[in-house]
Amino acid sequence: MAVFDPKVATRPPPRKVKVVIRKYNPETGKAWWQEHEIETYRGMTVLDALLKIKEEQDHTLTLRYSCRMAVCGSCGMTINGTPRLACQTQLAQVASNHNPVVRVEPMYNFKVVKDLLTDFTEFFEKHRKVKPYLIREDIEEQENPKLEYRLTPEEYEEFYQYSLCIACGLCVSACPIFASDTRFLGPQALAQAYRFVIDPRDEGYKVRLELVDSLDGVFGCHFAASCSAVCPKEVDPAAAIQRLRSLLLKYRLKLFRKKINGPVEPLREVKEKVPLPGDAQTLDGVDLEALENQPVVIPVEILSK
Amino acid sequence: MGKSVRDLVKYLDLRPGWRAFIDPFILKLWNNPERVAFHMHRITGVITAFFIFIHIITTNVPARAGWEAYLEEVRNLEAITPTSVLFYLAMGAVLFHGINGVRLILVEALAWGIGRPEKPKPPYIAPSLRGRQRALIHVTFALWIILWLALGYVMFLT
Repeated sequence: MAVFDPKVATRPPPRKVKVVIRKYNPETGKAWWQEHEIETYRGMTVLDALLKIKEEQDHTLTLRYSCRMAVCGSCGMTINGTPRLACQTQLAQVASNHNPVVRVEPMYNFKVVKDLLTDFTEFFEKHRKVKPYLIREDIEEQENPKLEYRLTPEEYEEFYQYSLCIACGLCVSACPIFASDTRFLGPQALAQAYRFVIDPRDEGYKVRLELVDSLDGVFGCHFAASCSAVCPKEVDPAAAIQRLRSLLLKYRLKLFRKKINGPVEPLREVKEKVPLPGDAQTLDGVDLEALENQPVVIPVEILSK
Repeated sequence: MGKSVRDLVKYLDLRPGWRAFIDPFILKLWNNPERVAFHMHRITGVITAFFIFIHIITTNVPARAGWEAYLEEVRNLEAITPTSVLFYLAMGAVLFHGINGVRLILVEALAWGIGRPEKPKPPYIAPSLRGRQRALIHVTFALWIILWLALGYVMFLT
């Protein structure tokens, strides 16, 4: 995340903060900057400040928010020129006693619906385009599974980081390529494509690799790495895109062999005698062979007392 | 015409990202020299394209005016003249574009130096921003400045 310093974040914010909001009215098509002054408290986030303004000063202020704890990814906005989640940003991080001004704008590279509310239709269309789900050749097995697919912890760690994406859109708003070419798939969709391409349970990697093999796909990216710098969940889309591109090169040179895991084998019932260690000794008066032949009886009446 | 311009302004207003394209420093991002390198690569690329265009015209001089004129032109580059200063600036752009291009081939085509995927932990700095490619960026900038200064020394002071 863009410069998160716990020492700064836990400081009390300035007592009074001027919040400057970029408002937009879709009916008249007018956009303007609106200033509000609010009293703060320790631990106040930018989202708290905006909700306080909405409650006390300007009821028409429009923004999207939900969980208030950086899980849902709804409240992405440009705060003092940096794309951030409003709920995750402390006022103390962005306002100081020297400069108690917080400028809040809608996220860049998105259509603005009203005020701070942005339109995610295109974003999710692109996300849908890369088929962000497991594709199997045996659809019957996938629809009516009897057992889970095999996945080792090492294989899981390869894509775990990319599966943390909350689709907040901050990476897309920071992307300099997306600013000039809106057909570009964007860091979020490409990172998700990579996440499913290297998933050993997935068999649809060829479809996805063909899909991202264009100037609007992986070859549009030029590694400005701003997506990774602003990601609130450390998903690292920049690295995912570079890996996807090198993987695509290997695929085109026919050097890429993907390991695909099927369902795990059903557990077998093993009836084996576990041998005792050589130096093991039984207690006095205990006959092991007699004990083995004796059925196990659990005294239920004692347990129920 | 007026209506279409108004529509364009409205479109740009609805897509604030265009402002980020026109003004690269509208976004304030820390810990991200890759973005600086990206913008410089774009700018130096444009300068290099113009330089190549002018270079073709200037190297065409012997065909148009003979070798004497060409030698005269090359001799002009030694002293500090507007042409030589422009040439020096263009050389800086070409140098940066070339050195950064090598870095980009390593990072973009071979996925070199971008770290391994990991389980996120505080302070949540992505592996690609901590990997060896970051050191390579510093090397790129250092090499560029050293070579450019060396070129200036060779051009103007020897």
